[in-house]
This record gives sequence, C-alpha cells and structure tokens, in this order.
Amino acid sequence: MLVLRRRAGESFLIGDEIEVEVLAVSQQGAKIGIRAPKETVVLRKELKVTQDENTQAASGPSARDLEQALRKLRP
Amino acid sequence: MPAVETKYFGIVSYAEESAVLFPQGLPAFEEERGFVLIDAPEGAPLVFLQSLARAGLCFLAIPILSIDSSYQLAIAPEDLENLGLNAGSQPGMGTDVSVLALVSVRDGFLASANLMAPLVLNVRTRRGLQAIRRDSRYSHEHPLAPLARAQATKGTRPPETAC
Repeated sequence: MLVLRRRAGESFLIGDEIEVEVLAVSQQGAKIGIRAPKETVVLRKELKVTQDENTQAASGPSARDLEQALRKLRP
Repeated sequence: MPAVETKYFGIVSYAEESAVLFPQGLPAFEEERGFVLIDAPEGAPLVFLQSLARAGLCFLAIPILSIDSSYQLAIAPEDLENLGLNAGSQPGMGTDVSVLALVSVRDGFLASANLMAPLVLNVRTRRGLQAIRRDSRYSHEHPLAPLARAQATKGTRPPETAC
C-alpha cells in the first residue's frame, strides 16, 4: 500500500481525474473531500462490504437444503 | 391474522407484532422494507427474516448475543436518531433493541455471521436498520463454529430477550 503523509488543506491525485483533499483532521477522524467524475462510485468501504455480505446472505440455502444447512450448525 | 408466502415454510400466518419495518431497506436491498421475523423450532436460535414483498427473499439471522455473549454495541449517533433512540448513549440489548446478525451460507452450510453490521430493531416501534460499525472490532465474516459453545450455555441467558 502506498502511504502518504498529508496535512489539512493538502491533496493528492489518483489518475488524471480524481482529487482527494484532506479538509480537516481532528480527534474524531480525518475529513476528506473527493473530486471525481460523476460516474465514479465513491462508497464507504464498510458499506460496500455490507452490500456484498447481504447479497451473499440473501442467497441462502434452498428450501430443500435448509435442513441440511441447519444440521451442520449443530454441535 | 395476516399471512405471507415464505421461502421455507409455505404460507405462514403471523402476528402483527412479528412484522418489522426497515424504512431505509438494507444495503443492496434498499427497496425491501417490510419483513416478518419467523422463529422455527428446528432452527433455534436461528431466526428467519422473511420479506413481505418477495417470497424468495428470506435472510437467516441469529441473535448476536447467541454468537458473542459479550458483544458491545457501537451504533453511530445518526443511526440511533433514525431508530428513534437517544443519540447520546447506546441502547440496552434486549430492553430497547433487538440485535441480530445476518448469516451467510457458503457451500451449502451456514458459514459466517456479520458482526460488523448488525440488524438493530427498536423493540417499541418495530422499526430497524442495519447499523454498520465504524470501528473494526468485529468481523463481517465471523465464523459460526463458536455457536456450538454459545448453545451449550443457553440456559444462562434469556434467549427471548436476546433477539
């Protein structure tokens, strides 16, 4: 992973079109501003992780396989 | 009594108080708001979160305290506000809120539970949301093997209120 040290008011570029600026840094965390093309999806990573995990959770066992799946949970 | 077509149990009648509303839906399922919680004796402590709108959509969930009896909530203030709860303090599990972890199935068996983003239900309003933690204290893929140990100590905690 590339590691950069930036202060509030400083920014960096990703490619030609994405700029990430550190707006403020406090005890609560860093406030980040992002300039990117409209079509670029910017998502908190934990939200993306949750979406993926929910999608996985929704494809649970079929009704036929439920009992088998539950059995494997038993001690 | 209303009834719903379910993924696993055919048509099931349910009490109004078993219905829950997620006003914002769940991430990746934003359009799914209404669910009903179904307890299946053969599945305990598993709970089935059946969509009221889509028969084929049924999440499997487990009361989070059944997985980790010392689980600590860290619900963001804005999530607490959306739940209609005091944003200044964490609610009581079992008293103010029910907390469930969604279970993921891999290769046909219940593999992991998402402890990073629990479903939190306000027990008074029956409204809930998926409260994504900001910290990295708990995994979104907590392996389910420890459940066997949690079940062994079942008598020491109140399963009704844990959910």
